[in-house]
Amino acid sequence: MKLATRARVLALGVLLMVMIVFDSRPARAEYGDVVINNYSEAAGMRPVVFPHWFHRVRFRCKVCHADLGFQFKAGGNQINMVKIIDGQFCGACHNGDLAWSVENCNLCHSAKPGTPTHVHESTVNKLAAPAPAPKR
Amino acid sequence: MKRVSHFAALALLFAAAAAHAQTGKALYDKVCAGCHATGIIGAPKPGDAEAWKPRLAKGMDAVLRNAVNGTPRGMPPKGGRADLSEAQIRSAIDFMIAGVAGAPAAARVDSAKAAPTPAAKVDTRPAPTPVARAEPKPAAPADAAGATAAAAAPSATGVAAVPRSTVGSESDAADVNAFNRLLKPGGGFNRPAMESGIHDPTNDATPTLQPPARAFAALPKSPAGNHVDWVKALESKRIDPRWDRNDAKAQAVVMDLNIVREVKGSMPDVVYPHKQHTEWLDCSNCHPALFVPQKGANQISMAAILLGQKCGVCHGRVAFPVSECRLCHSKKKDAATVAAGK
Repeated sequence: MKLATRARVLALGVLLMVMIVFDSRPARAEYGDVVINNYSEAAGMRPVVFPHWFHRVRFRCKVCHADLGFQFKAGGNQINMVKIIDGQFCGACHNGDLAWSVENCNLCHSAKPGTPTHVHESTVNKLAAPAPAPKR
Repeated sequence: MKRVSHFAALALLFAAAAAHAQTGKALYDKVCAGCHATGIIGAPKPGDAEAWKPRLAKGMDAVLRNAVNGTPRGMPPKGGRADLSEAQIRSAIDFMIAGVAGAPAAARVDSAKAAPTPAAKVDTRPAPTPVARAEPKPAAPADAAGATAAAAAPSATGVAAVPRSTVGSESDAADVNAFNRLLKPGGGFNRPAMESGIHDPTNDATPTLQPPARAFAALPKSPAGNHVDWVKALESKRIDPRWDRNDAKAQAVVMDLNIVREVKGSMPDVVYPHKQHTEWLDCSNCHPALFVPQKGANQISMAAILLGQKCGVCHGRVAFPVSECRLCHSKKKDAATVAAGK
């Protein structure tokens, strides 16, 4: 009895370890997270992760996509730091007034190096291109 | 006979304690290690007596409360995993404080004590009867161990026979779901940035990003996308996103006009509500570039949508995904139309 139970627990333990080791599920980032890597890596920074969910809690789509002129396309806006500091795109809010300012580099530039520009978990991503696998 | 039953009970207590320890380790690895392994923003490392002592001095209950409710110093409630039970959190704490002097020897003794009492303390999920356990559901590995502990409980009290098939069926169910590429295993969404797979865990700011589960805790749920029903969240005023970035009082210009699009086959017709869209968007977002504002002027197909055109510009990227067919295809055709195949 005791032996059987122990064996069972042991087996379960081994199974757990195996599942943990082989837990190779794809990235589990939030639906709609946008990775932007137009210029970042070339300039020696991590790519940017833009969390849609965080922003839509605070602003309606229209604020960025109509008022600020963000195109509905990942990487389609040719954003760079000069424009942001000049108050365009992200810089319209991230100016130290409405939202924190540009000196917090790593809050945006936080993606794994090698992650290509894409909308995470988007249908297009799933159908048209293999899931982006960041280089290690 | 009596001796045998004592022996069996002891064996089960040991099994429950072992399972508890397993749960703790597995949970720690999956959930807590992100911060507690490196001690980031002051998170006490496992086995670090110096860090744990002052916390444990306030009592195990206080430690558990902090872990469950979160602290202003940076501990997210339940480590950002709202789906975990207190017992599971406790097992992870027990794992981390194992070997720390001054830790209640609780780690093992308590769990052993808890096991024979009705499972409530071991696992807050309902009815740890063999029947309920056989129900195939996506079980995270950590849950599986919790389930064993729970399953062991009734048998120790002699209420039910040892559910022989339980362990087998649980792991089988996990295997089956592991192959199901559509059904995501429990806890696979709303993960903190450290586990997102696209954030760099070595970036110093990554652990400071808000875990989505924390932001979403009070919002209405949905089965897909962010697992948040954004439209309901807005309607119920759980969120109050600004319409103008500088003016917190600006109101959306809402247009209440439904457009019905008849579709081929037996699929229900599409009802497009301007109302819900104009709550979020400006007319210029869709008209005229994506949709010509004229009845019958827009060719829309699911193929185009799946490729990110028309509705697919947002739906399948950030608005609810195309897996939620009936949210758009919501107007039933009458039987005659379907029969005629029009």
